[in-house]
Amino acid sequence: MTRADLAVAAPPVREAPVLDELDVLDEQTLVVRAQEGDARAFETLARRHQDALYRLAVRVMGDPAEAEDALQEALLDAWRRIGRFRGESAFSTWMYRIVTNRCLGMLRKRRPIPVEEVEAPAPAHDSPERAAERDAGMAALHRAIAALPDDLRVCWVLREMEGQGYTEIAEITGATEDAVRGRIHRARTKLAGAMRSWR
Amino acid sequence: MALTPAPDPDGRLACGRDASAVWDRAAAGEPADAHERDCPHCTAAAADARGLGALVHRMAQEQPEPPPSVLDRVMVAVRTELRPHDVLTLPSPHGPARLSRAAAASVLRHTVDAMSGVRARSCRIEQVTDTFSGEPGHAADVRITVTARFGVDLASVTARVRQMVAAAGEQALGVPVRRVDIEVVDVFGGEW
Repeated sequence: MTRADLAVAAPPVREAPVLDELDVLDEQTLVVRAQEGDARAFETLARRHQDALYRLAVRVMGDPAEAEDALQEALLDAWRRIGRFRGESAFSTWMYRIVTNRCLGMLRKRRPIPVEEVEAPAPAHDSPERAAERDAGMAALHRAIAALPDDLRVCWVLREMEGQGYTEIAEITGATEDAVRGRIHRARTKLAGAMRSWR
Repeated sequence: MALTPAPDPDGRLACGRDASAVWDRAAAGEPADAHERDCPHCTAAAADARGLGALVHRMAQEQPEPPPSVLDRVMVAVRTELRPHDVLTLPSPHGPARLSRAAAASVLRHTVDAMSGVRARSCRIEQVTDTFSGEPGHAADVRITVTARFGVDLASVTARVRQMVAAAGEQALGVPVRRVDIEVVDVFGGEW
């Protein structure tokens, strides 16, 4: 194997974040500190949650660049609003709600993208292994997800990709639990119909 | 042709079963009950769940990560939005000294964090008002909440916190601390 081959085949290396003393703190302590204006505490919270929030954004938006924008704006929203977080829900649920609202707002302003143009979003640090995995069936599933109405897609992603419970999804989306169950099942039925030929 | 009928808006199959529950059980590989085995609606929903399951599972394994630049950009913006007006104004021989309240609180929290068996949570610093002039006085009062490691002697720990906070106020911030109110609000396990 040549050096060039190795360069291509090498898995992406993500630098481990530098840990500091705040990384050992519990979430509630970090939230209180951030509410009192401690930017480092907020940064620690943001670092803990950003991967999950980005995954949600990229799956709802279907576009990594737009997901980046949504995450960035959502984190800034969170900083500006953290004083109003009262802890009625988990901090992660509160963050999911901010990202969801930001994504839905961006989707409302976006020109419709023909579903045929939707591609499976490449991860920010793609690897040949992952690229190979993105086969035709996965691309078809990505297209089918992109074709879902926004409210159905948000609920489906939170349930199937992020493993959230129905109660949490109702809190995140501001819908009733029954409405969430209905949306998720409509999304599942539509996806099953769209993917029937791939099974 | 799909057998699964369009569900009601509240997520019920035509047979009345909760569509999500039927789907979740099938996707998890749990066995169908007697009704689900005989019901065409439940059977179709379960077949769809199993058929889609592998692809959905594979997609869920994809873990795209945000570029590090996103958090960097956010924190640059956060730091420019810090409240510079929220300051303690303290008299000094060289005129009024201005000290960011958040930065001062951060120094006091760090002092507590460095102690064994205790962590700072909230830290609020209030300037003492001069009784006669009504102007901001030289000293400050501190209200601090802490979490303590399970099993520590709380009386001893809070006494040390009071001593260390007062010392840090005086030495690190140049602010005489008149009073330190400490409330233990939580406990934690482990060695830290």
